[in-house]
Amino acid sequence: MDELLAVVGYKVRSSDMAEVAQKLEQLEEAMGNARDGISQLSNDTVHFNPADISNWLETMINNLDVPPPPHPPLPQQHSDYDLKAIAGKAIYTTAARVKPSPAESSSSTRPLVLVDSQENGIRLVHTLMACAEAVHQNNLSLAEALVKQIGFLAVSQVGAMRKVATYFAEALARRIYGLYPENPIHHSFSDMLQIHFYETCPYLKFAHFTANQAILEAFQGKNRVHVIDFSMNQGMQWPALMQALALRPGGPPAFRLTGIGPPAADNSDHLQEVGWKLAQLAETIHVEFEYRGFVANSLADLDASMLELRPSETEAVAVNSVFELHKLLARPGAVEKVLSVVRQIRPEIVTVVEQEANHNGPGFLDRFTESLHYYSTMFDSLEGSVNSQDKVMSEVYLGKQICNVVACEGVDRVERHETLGQWRTRFGSAGFTPVHLGSNAFKQASMLLALFAGGDGYRVEENNGCLMLGWHTRPLIATSAWQLATKSVVAH
Amino acid sequence: MAGSNEVNLNESRSVVPLNTWVLISNFKLAYNLLRRADGTFNRELAEFLDRKVPSNSIPVHGVWSFDHVDQRIPGLFYRLYLQDSHQRGCAGATVIPDMDKPLSTTDIVPVIIFFHGGSFSHSSANSAIYDTFCRRLVNVSNSVVVSVNYRRSPEHRFPCAYEDGWTALEWVRSRKWLRSGRSESESESKVYVYMAGDSSGGNIVHHVAVRAAEEGIEVLGNILLHPLFGGEKRTESEIRLDGKYFVKLQDRDWYWRAFLPEGEDRDHPACNPFGPRGRSLKGLTSFPKTLVCVAGLDLLQDWQLAYANSLSSFSHHVNLLYLKDATIGFYFLPNNDHFSSLMDQINNFVNPNC
Repeated sequence: MDELLAVVGYKVRSSDMAEVAQKLEQLEEAMGNARDGISQLSNDTVHFNPADISNWLETMINNLDVPPPPHPPLPQQHSDYDLKAIAGKAIYTTAARVKPSPAESSSSTRPLVLVDSQENGIRLVHTLMACAEAVHQNNLSLAEALVKQIGFLAVSQVGAMRKVATYFAEALARRIYGLYPENPIHHSFSDMLQIHFYETCPYLKFAHFTANQAILEAFQGKNRVHVIDFSMNQGMQWPALMQALALRPGGPPAFRLTGIGPPAADNSDHLQEVGWKLAQLAETIHVEFEYRGFVANSLADLDASMLELRPSETEAVAVNSVFELHKLLARPGAVEKVLSVVRQIRPEIVTVVEQEANHNGPGFLDRFTESLHYYSTMFDSLEGSVNSQDKVMSEVYLGKQICNVVACEGVDRVERHETLGQWRTRFGSAGFTPVHLGSNAFKQASMLLALFAGGDGYRVEENNGCLMLGWHTRPLIATSAWQLATKSVVAH
Repeated sequence: MAGSNEVNLNESRSVVPLNTWVLISNFKLAYNLLRRADGTFNRELAEFLDRKVPSNSIPVHGVWSFDHVDQRIPGLFYRLYLQDSHQRGCAGATVIPDMDKPLSTTDIVPVIIFFHGGSFSHSSANSAIYDTFCRRLVNVSNSVVVSVNYRRSPEHRFPCAYEDGWTALEWVRSRKWLRSGRSESESESKVYVYMAGDSSGGNIVHHVAVRAAEEGIEVLGNILLHPLFGGEKRTESEIRLDGKYFVKLQDRDWYWRAFLPEGEDRDHPACNPFGPRGRSLKGLTSFPKTLVCVAGLDLLQDWQLAYANSLSSFSHHVNLLYLKDATIGFYFLPNNDHFSSLMDQINNFVNPNC
C-alpha cells in the first residue's frame, strides 16, 4: 500500500497507482461526454468503500458504460515514481518524522471529545486516572482516599461528567473493597433497561436498521428466508425487517426466525412470548412466519445441528448478532467455536454490531482509560434526551457495563468490547470476507438520525465498507456484514 | 473538447508525483459529483465519501489530539493538536489535558488557529487529509494547532464561516492553559495566537484578522496558503490556467455562488476584499504580519499576488512565498520540495526568535 495515501485514508497499492490514474482519466473523460453522467453517478449509483479508490472508480466506470481507453498509455507514464518526468526538484522525503515507524504506527486510537464546560470536569478525570493507577499498583489506601475525593468532586459537576464519574468511582470502589457485582444480571431487568435505551438514543435503532439493510439486500430474490438472531432479547429488530419484506415487489418471502437467548431468571418462556407477538404481527402484514426460540447460557453451547437448517437451495439464512459476540471473549475458544458453527450454517450474510472500543486489553489501566473516554462520550450523547425516565434507565444500562468492564475479571467480565479493526481480523481468520454497506444505507441511516429528537450531535461515518454511529467526532458503535470466503463454491 | 481534456490531464501528470496526482484527481472527481447545477450540494454523499479520523489522546509521532465541541453552534468543534512534551504523559499512554497549567512557563509556544480548505463547502476538521496536515504542522513548528470545524456552504452562507472563526479566536484567547511564555519577564504569559488556512481557510483568516485588528484583539501573524479570493474580472492567470491543473474556473464560480449571499457577485468584499467594493486597511496598524504562499500553477494566483501587493501598499508586513511549479494541494503529501519550503517558512514565521 502507498503509505502516504494510507495515512490520508486511501488504500491504493503502489503497483496499481498507474492503473488507478488511468481509470481516473477515463472516468473524467466519460463524465465530460455523457449527458446525464454526473447526475446518474451522484443520485442513482450506490457507492461502496471509497477508501478503495480502484474499485470505487471501477463501479462508476461500469455504471457509465465507459469504453476502454482508445490507446494504451504512453510508456513513460507507466513507472510510478519516474522522477525524470516530474518538473522541478520533487523528491520523496525519507525524513524520519513523516515516515511511520513500526513501533509508533499503532492501530490503537483513543479519541477524546470534550463538550463545552467540561474543562472543570478534567480535574475529575485526572483524579479518576490517579485512582485507577493506585488500584493497578495495589496501593489500596491511596486508592481509597482518591475514591472518596472523586465522590466529593463529582457532586460539584453537572451533567454527564458527574454521572460517569459516579459509575466509575463505584466500580473502582468495588475493586478496592473486593465487592464484585453478582453475575449474570437478571435477564428480564436488563431487557427492560435495554428497551429504555432503545427509546432514548439511536444506537440500537441504528444497529437494527443497518443490519436489516444488509439482510434485505442479501435476501433479494430469495423465496424462503431464515434469520438466526444471536441477540433476540425483546425481538425489537424484527418488526421493521418483516414490514420491509412484506412490501417487497413480488410479495414477501416465507420468513423463519430462530431467536436465541439466555434463560430467564424466573424460568418463564420469554423467548416464546416474543415469538408469539411477532407471529401476530406477521399475520396482520400477511407474511408467512415460523418461529423457534432457543435458550442457551452461551452461544458457544450451540451446534449447527440444533438449528434445524434446511437445504440452502430452499432457504437463505442470515445470522445476526447485536452486542453479543464480545461476551464470548470471556472464555478461551468460545468465539472461534461460534464462528465455526456460523460457517456450518452457510449463511448468505452475517450481520454484526459491536461497540467501537477496545475494552478487552490485557492491562487494567488501559481498559480503564479507554472505557472512561468511551462512556463519557456515550453519556454526553444522552444528555439531550427528552424523556427523563428513559434517560435514567439508559444510564443504569450503561452503568452496568461500566461496572463489568472495571470491576470484574475472568469469566465474569463479559463486556469485552473490541474494535472494528479487531473484529475484521477475527472474521478474516475465521474464513469470512466483508460485505460492504453502501451510500444508500449511509444516507438512510443519516436521515433516520435527523428524525431523532434529543441531540444533533449524532454522526454516521463510513469505514472501509462498514458503517459507524458516533457522537460528534467519536464513533461509538460499528455495523459490519460478512459472507463466507468460499461462497462462490457451489458444492458443499 | 475531449482532445483538450486529454492534453490537460497529461500536463498535470507531469508536474506532481503520481500518488499526489491520484489523490487530487480523486478529490476533483468526487467534488464533481457533489455540486449540482441548481446550486445545491449532495451533502450525504459528501459525508459518505470524506475520509475522517477520530482524535487520538495517545501520542503518535509525539502529537496527540482531542476535540472540543461548542454545542451552541451545530457542528462547530475544534480539534486541538499538541506535542506530548507540552502536557504530561509518556509515549503510548493516554494524555489527559491539564487545564490548570499553561503550556509553558519558560518558552513561547505558538498557537495556530487553522481553517481547513474546501472552497467553503468541502472537508472537515476531522478529514484525514487535514488531520494529517495539522499533525505535521505541529511537529514542524513546535506549536499547538487548533483546527476549526466551521459551518459550510451552501447550507450556511456568508458570514457563518467568519463568525465561527471569530468564536474560535475568542475561545482560544480565553484558554488559560493555552498560554505560554515567562510570566515575570518582558514577555508576558499570554496565548501567542497565529491564524492559518488553505484555500477558503485562508480567506477566513483574512476576514477574522481584519475584525481582530479593528477590535484591538492581538493576532501575531496570518498564514494564507493559496487563499481563495476572486472577483468579477477574469484575470490573466485564470484564463491561462483554466482547467489545466485540477481546477476549472466555472467550478470556482459555483463555490462563490454557494457561499456569498444570494444574488451577490464576486466583487462582494468577502470574495474581493480589496476590489471595487473593498476597503483599504491603511492605518489599521494592528493588522498582523502575513505569510502568503502562492502556487505557481494555481489559476487564482493573480488574485493572491494582488492581495499580497495590497497589504504591502497599506504598509503591512508581507512575506510572499511563490512556488513556481506547485499545484494546489501540494502540501497534502510531504513528497515534494514545495512541502518542505512551505514548512520551513511557517516555522520561521511563528518562531521568529529561534
